[in-house]
Amino acid sequence: MSGKEFFITRYQKLGWKYHEVKLKQAIRINHTNVSDKKLIERLKGMGVDVEKIPFLQSGYWVQPSKVSVGATAEYLLGMYSIQEAAAQIPVSLFTNLKGKLVLDASAAPGGKTVQMADTMQNTGAIVALDVDKRRLTALSNHLERCNISNTIVYLLDARQATNLNVKFDRILLDAPCSGNFASDGYWFRNRTLKDIERNSALQKQILAKAVECLSENGELIYSTCSLEPEENELNIDWAVENLQLSIEEINCYGERGLTDVFGRQLDPMVARCKRLWPGATQGFFVCKLKRSNMQ
Amino acid sequence: MKAISVFNFISQFHVQLAIDPDSIFEKNGRFFLINKTLRLLANRDFFYAGAYLGKAKAGKFFPSFILLSMLAKEKESNRVVVDKKSAWLFICGRDILGKSIVRVHGQGKKGVNTLVLNEFGECLGFGRIVGKVTGFSVGDELAVRNVSDIGDFLRRER
Repeated sequence: MSGKEFFITRYQKLGWKYHEVKLKQAIRINHTNVSDKKLIERLKGMGVDVEKIPFLQSGYWVQPSKVSVGATAEYLLGMYSIQEAAAQIPVSLFTNLKGKLVLDASAAPGGKTVQMADTMQNTGAIVALDVDKRRLTALSNHLERCNISNTIVYLLDARQATNLNVKFDRILLDAPCSGNFASDGYWFRNRTLKDIERNSALQKQILAKAVECLSENGELIYSTCSLEPEENELNIDWAVENLQLSIEEINCYGERGLTDVFGRQLDPMVARCKRLWPGATQGFFVCKLKRSNMQ
Repeated sequence: MKAISVFNFISQFHVQLAIDPDSIFEKNGRFFLINKTLRLLANRDFFYAGAYLGKAKAGKFFPSFILLSMLAKEKESNRVVVDKKSAWLFICGRDILGKSIVRVHGQGKKGVNTLVLNEFGECLGFGRIVGKVTGFSVGDELAVRNVSDIGDFLRRER
């Protein structure tokens, strides 16, 4: 069960008509290092125009130009990060990150880690985990470039996060996922339903362990850049039932989560999740979870 | 060792940074400045922590750009401010000609290390003074040899 037609039919059954998408490059300004005004002026001075992304606080779309925004002095000085628009949403959903103890369960290459550190203005502490050493090197370079000082990085599988013996105020679980066709030109060719089911199982394992590390009134943001309900709504429906979690209302760009997935009825709370079909952004899914006994 | 290689490097810029040596952790030759909160978490085998200061390898110390930025904020540190074109060439790994130096702070004599700043006062890296750095009038003579620049972030990714 694979191939473009197979997946397009699935999307149609979920209520979305497939169309090709050309993503716009996006940046996120690191406010610890520069103000919006100053950076925009400097970029303009070198022929790079940017446009504010209406649903993000620090995000800008980059207008096509001859200058590569990944090779400017301003980029190398950590004034901004190149981060797809939808990927900037999860961190923005946490309440009051400043001074908190935060877990980034699947951190590399570090775009969201740096976004959290910037939001926290280098206060509190972020524990960033990843299983891939090469990706940790990329994460470390990102932290150094952006002058981050509140983060500690471990080479550790997120499923072993409980070994840290720490309870976190905030947890970001940007789960390893199957991705989506908008950000991967070969996606339809390379993915099968089996991959998706395997990822879904892994995500559930990580989510279960992450919840064990969450403090009593902590917040957990779960996100993927997958369009597949097995990695999104179905996982969250499972978490509500099995991990005693509740889903919080969130106010961000996107459509409400699906509660009818191929005829299967999910907990009505799942509608509080946000699903972003590709268009203005890549495909994405995000939700905010809390322990339900705190409601 | 350990933190001594960090302090030896700092002293080359004729400045003293108020860093508590006990806050510096070494991991496989790499040095990190770790605050009190992170220190509680640093008892495990970490990969990276706090503010990366640099690494010691074969008796040499290679500073991080975080450390260089810290040094550049000190008024007494050795630093040269270069013009826009030279700033970009420096990031691309090139040396600095005397004519492109706009200002000199601290020691400007041959053989010493100096930070290289752009017109906004942002640290782009550091180099060794190999010629006159007195500015504008010096012509095409080489003044600062590039030792390390922020373009390294791109070169590391290759």
